Amino acid sequence: MMGEIPLDGRRAARWWRRLAAMTQKEVLQLGRDLPLLVFLLYSFSLSVYISGVGITMQLRNAELLVHDGDHSLSSRELIHRFQPPYFRFKEEVANPREGLRQLDEGAAMVLLDIPPRFHEALAAGESTAVQLLVDTTNAPQGLSAASYGLRIAGQFGSEAGLGSLGLSAPYAAVPMVTSAHRVWFNPNQDETWFQSISHMLRMITVFAVLLPAVALVREKERGTVEQLLVSPLSPFQIMLSKVLAMTAVILICTAIAVYGVLRPLFHVPMKGSAWVFFLLTALHIFTTAGLGLVAATVTRNQAQVGMMTLFVVGPMMMLSGLNSPYESMPGWVQTVMAFSPLRYYIDITYGVLLKGAGFDVLWKPVVTMVLLGGGLFGFGMWRFRRQFE
Amino acid sequence: MNLRRIKAVALKEWKETTRDRLFLLLAFLLPALWMLVFGYGLVLDVEDIPFAVLDQDHTAMSREYSYRFIQSRYFSYRGHVDDPRALDRLLTKTTIRAALIIPERFEEQLAAGEPVSVQTLLDGTFPLHADIAKGYVIAINQAFTQDLLVDYVSRTRGLAREQGRRIVQPLTVEVRYLYNEEVRSTWSMVPALVMFTLMVASPLLTALSVVREKETGSIYNIYSSTLSRGEFLAGKILPYAAISLVNVWVLWLMAVLVFHVPFKGSLLFFFVGSMLFVFCSAGIGLLVSLLVSTQMAALIITMVVAMLPTILFSGLLVPVSSLGRGAQLQAHFFPAMYYTNIVRGSFLKGVDARVLWLDMAALAVFAIGMGLIAYRLFTKRPNA
Amino acid sequence: MDEAVITQESPIIRVSGFIKRYKRQVVVNGVDLTIRKGEIYGLIGPDGAGKSSLMKAIAGVLSYEGGMVEVFGTLIDSERAAERVKQRLGFLPQGLGLNLYPDLSVEENIDFFARLRLVPEQELTERKARLLGITRLEKFRDRPMRNLSGGMKQKLGLICTLIHEPELAILDEPTTGVDPVSRRDFWAILTEWQQAKGMTVLVSTAYMDEAVRFHRLSFLSRGRVLASGSPEEIQSLSPGLVITFESTPQLDAVGRLKTRYAQVETLGPSLHVFTPETDPSTALGEIRNTLSGLPVERVQIDEPELEDVVVSLLLQEQQNRIDGQAGSADPRSNASAPQSNGIAVEARELVRDFGAFRAVDRVSFVVKQGEIFGLLGANGAGKTTVIKMLTGILPPTGGDGWVAGEDMRRAAGAIKERIGYMSQAFSLYLDLTVIENIRLFAGIYGLDQRQTRWRMEWIIGMAGLTGYEADRTGRLPMGVRQRLALGCALVHEPRVLFLDEPTSGVDPIGRRRFWEMLARLAREDGVAILVTTHYMSEAEHCDRLGLMHAGRLVADGSPADLKRRLEQDMGPLLEIATDQPGRALAKLSASGMAQATLSETKIHVLSLDPGRDEARIRTVLTGCGIRVEAVRTRQPSLEDVFVSRVRALEEEAQNGAPA
Repeated sequence: MMGEIPLDGRRAARWWRRLAAMTQKEVLQLGRDLPLLVFLLYSFSLSVYISGVGITMQLRNAELLVHDGDHSLSSRELIHRFQPPYFRFKEEVANPREGLRQLDEGAAMVLLDIPPRFHEALAAGESTAVQLLVDTTNAPQGLSAASYGLRIAGQFGSEAGLGSLGLSAPYAAVPMVTSAHRVWFNPNQDETWFQSISHMLRMITVFAVLLPAVALVREKERGTVEQLLVSPLSPFQIMLSKVLAMTAVILICTAIAVYGVLRPLFHVPMKGSAWVFFLLTALHIFTTAGLGLVAATVTRNQAQVGMMTLFVVGPMMMLSGLNSPYESMPGWVQTVMAFSPLRYYIDITYGVLLKGAGFDVLWKPVVTMVLLGGGLFGFGMWRFRRQFE
Repeated sequence: MNLRRIKAVALKEWKETTRDRLFLLLAFLLPALWMLVFGYGLVLDVEDIPFAVLDQDHTAMSREYSYRFIQSRYFSYRGHVDDPRALDRLLTKTTIRAALIIPERFEEQLAAGEPVSVQTLLDGTFPLHADIAKGYVIAINQAFTQDLLVDYVSRTRGLAREQGRRIVQPLTVEVRYLYNEEVRSTWSMVPALVMFTLMVASPLLTALSVVREKETGSIYNIYSSTLSRGEFLAGKILPYAAISLVNVWVLWLMAVLVFHVPFKGSLLFFFVGSMLFVFCSAGIGLLVSLLVSTQMAALIITMVVAMLPTILFSGLLVPVSSLGRGAQLQAHFFPAMYYTNIVRGSFLKGVDARVLWLDMAALAVFAIGMGLIAYRLFTKRPNA
Repeated sequence: MDEAVITQESPIIRVSGFIKRYKRQVVVNGVDLTIRKGEIYGLIGPDGAGKSSLMKAIAGVLSYEGGMVEVFGTLIDSERAAERVKQRLGFLPQGLGLNLYPDLSVEENIDFFARLRLVPEQELTERKARLLGITRLEKFRDRPMRNLSGGMKQKLGLICTLIHEPELAILDEPTTGVDPVSRRDFWAILTEWQQAKGMTVLVSTAYMDEAVRFHRLSFLSRGRVLASGSPEEIQSLSPGLVITFESTPQLDAVGRLKTRYAQVETLGPSLHVFTPETDPSTALGEIRNTLSGLPVERVQIDEPELEDVVVSLLLQEQQNRIDGQAGSADPRSNASAPQSNGIAVEARELVRDFGAFRAVDRVSFVVKQGEIFGLLGANGAGKTTVIKMLTGILPPTGGDGWVAGEDMRRAAGAIKERIGYMSQAFSLYLDLTVIENIRLFAGIYGLDQRQTRWRMEWIIGMAGLTGYEADRTGRLPMGVRQRLALGCALVHEPRVLFLDEPTSGVDPIGRRRFWEMLARLAREDGVAILVTTHYMSEAEHCDRLGLMHAGRLVADGSPADLKRRLEQDMGPLLEIATDQPGRALAKLSASGMAQATLSETKIHVLSLDPGRDEARIRTVLTGCGIRVEAVRTRQPSLEDVFVSRVRALEEEAQNGAPA
């Protein structure tokens, strides 16, 4: 593929001039599409900002209903411990049935039911039980709520138990393992960083697949590709120019997102080298564009290529590891997603931005991506050539 | 509104769509395949967190302690290291996402009845996962501590272990999971996927319908005819809405038959809600198509507008109540959230219009509102 | 033209002071127009004159900035007002079949238009049958529209416009890009329908020979009406004669003539001069004087055709506007000596199959360096496929070809550097400006900055693009786009030029300029040009022609050869002038002279026995009360050649027996 680039001076100069002319054309055409430009800008600025400030995947403000059958010091103490950010006390209900009705409506997520004689039992060192009813229509969030609830009640219980033995916090002479956490790379566990960066990655990926793919199909649909095929341009140059142009445009957009939103507004660190980040972003765009180009060669109009790329982009968005950790996915998903450039790019981005990683650490995903990109681009080229023979 | 004219437009649109075999195939295949892929593949449970241990104590107790992590299905053991700096490297390379540092004199202190603090290092790049991992660590520590305490209390106070246990933890918590009693990820995921696939795929069907005619010039047939704006828009949206409605049933059947998700609610309610939603989502594509002048812009804008808010603001992954204020607002201005309530409610909760009438009304308002905007945007006598 | 009954009731269309602006650009500036019921009213004029904008505004599909438009007595000033008249009108926008739906069949297209207009099903069935019948599309009922030829597409477009029997039909360049046989068909159908239904028609065209079919017409240029009236009235605006003769050396002759006459054309060996002088002998004398000593041979003196008049009017207007600004830039004067008479293109037994369908069947021909070779044929005859194979877009099924000295199967890369290509479908980028398109192709062909600047200037001058440089290509009128496309094909000074219907939709001045350039490229620079066209008047410019029919090359020779051979095979041509040409043609066809055709206002018949046939014609026509003004024999035009050859071949194919 690369073998066709001439090396001797004059021919090489013409070769590059051709490529440059085509690349410039793509950029110009994109520049003429005002609605698209405005939207592109929005996607990399305002929309990154909104997802940064607006979204948390962690359990937040789970609405809590309480049926307090005891109304005692202990019951109030327990209820008091269900606190933001995880829970938000909504109201006390007169009976459990009323609580269930609210859960049905989706007005609340958790119902805590405290039995009568709760305080008495604890004071007497007897065992007692509270009920926690959790809406699990959203299973992970439900589980999360349940586990926080268990943790809070467990803590409360053991304090009460030790209290009945005359021990109270801080426990100096009790054998226990306490947890000291150190969270690296994002010490205050700010989801703003994660969400805004993730959003930027999604945008980069969507545009990297779509822009070159549609640009290529559009030439086929309108017949302009004929004029190009009669010229000395090679199919390789036709495809490469689209990718180069779109890579440039998306890189600029990425820079806008990084230096216009992430750094100044969210103070996302750039621990590694910015050059490395943008270089590898370019690599990601190039590789992802290869996927789009393959889709473009099997379709003949823009409607088809739209559906086809959606087909690819959807799973990439959802399964590459932005929404759920890659490690916990089923084996077959991991196998299939090995072909998703985004999967590697996620590691690269977080590695460079937050962890300060360089090529020494990232060489594996980088090499994989280069191979993947070369393969996809080569396959796309082969298909593109074959179409016109 | 003249039905014959609407029918003429709809029929033409339908024929053109059906002649494009690949497009038609994808229009039906895409939702079904996504359902399969995401239904089986999109696992949101955080499990198998890769971790390493730095054991500075090297005692039976420290081994027993670390063994609790190695055994847990939430963690996936990647080995022991001897040097704290090795942990740095492993974390940076993302070989591990958590590390456990057991201090010296771990066994000694516990045996002496003193508390010990164990440090865990967590990779915070994915805050949600770090947070969940933290929860797992705390839970394991709590369990380990409880066993220690029971030992300790029964030994020092001379009680039976059973009694000791009751004293140490007098409070039991009975958790009842509602609607999805076994807390299956698929049960909660699959109904939401019905929403997701419809929301993403159906706008794309309509996205090119008008702009394509603008590009070729056949829109002049419409301009120069007596077809009214409303008739045109209705004719344009109907065939695609029909495709999406078929998909609703395919997805419903898949949910029930393939994923065995119980459908507890009313079919009629579900159907009416789905129909409204299909019109909303197809309407989004149509609106974009009216606004832009190239197919490329229509495709890209529709895809981004449909997909990203749906992933983020629809309640698919994050309940709307967990969102920040701005995002919550955005969620309310997007039909997906209401439909998520309807689908999950119909499948898992078995509730209907009596409970979810507000969501239904919101979808109706959306459908009508979008129709009105489209009506305003479309002009049969443009100035260029 | 048969005189339709024109009633003097209130006009169907009244336009006054009409102004249309796109952003800051004024495209129509104060047009007045009145069209009466039952008229066929024509709009003619160069590209960019504002015809399309005016027609769209009248059809109620475009808003406008000033003046007023009244249709059926309703003032069209809002969408609501426009809606009120739309049931009564039909609109066919510009662009060959672009408003039809390619994936739908012929019948489905018609049904859609009819149902949009609420035509009752029963009437639809009936009308559809009738219209399909007269357009001879009956047997293609189920064929997807995308697989129709250009002529058929346009006929289908007409059916779709007429299916609801509008009182007013607005047709924007309906015949552009359609071959002559189909064009004649088209007009016959339209006229028949118009007379039967008393329909009013507003139509624009780029073919001046069609303008004589209009009852009245307006001549637009630069957004204003230059002249209005009946074709005769327009014609009388610029009286004069057309003198055709041969003179050598041709280039010298042209040079001398141009000092005096605004319209000098070369047609192969002949020269074609329009003079305002109306007396033949004075006119000829003046020409002899101007040529001062060069020989003047084979003189033929004709009445000017509308096209000559229009060109003359336009030239006058240009003269008034920019007194004397050079019309076309001189191409390179360094005239690199034409290369040897080497062979530039050779096709040998080329075959191309699409599935079971053989689109090109053993086609062989040779084009020499410096020669203009024309491929003629109806839409769908296989011309484009031949070009696509030679340029390397389409691999041939069989046969060989050499282009610019290289084997097309092996050295495709080398060939591509040396050829220029202009495809039939406009294939430049509509969202780029004129300059940007040129710069793109300069880059694609590897020109450096200096070369690019130089070629840019040359192209803009050559193609008359001054003033359009910064306009988006999508906004340009069709003719200007075609000129730009040619410019882009020439950017790298190719040795061989392939032009696939380069002049579709280009106005007469543009076409003449275009051919002047081609001639210069061929004569001075030795460029070989392979061109397809279906303007027969243009075919006269070619050195040699190949006539294609159903994938085969059925005739090959110089224009004079082809004419001579036709006369040998079918006899000399009789040209009959009458007072009612339409009726006369029908009568003659009915009396067994099926090969009679209408050429402008005169009837042409080929006859192996002119004496007997002339008598017969006179008897038939006078018998029906038609006055025969003159019958004379003349040399057949290429259009006559084309039409009679194609008809003969079609009949042959239908009868299944080779003659």
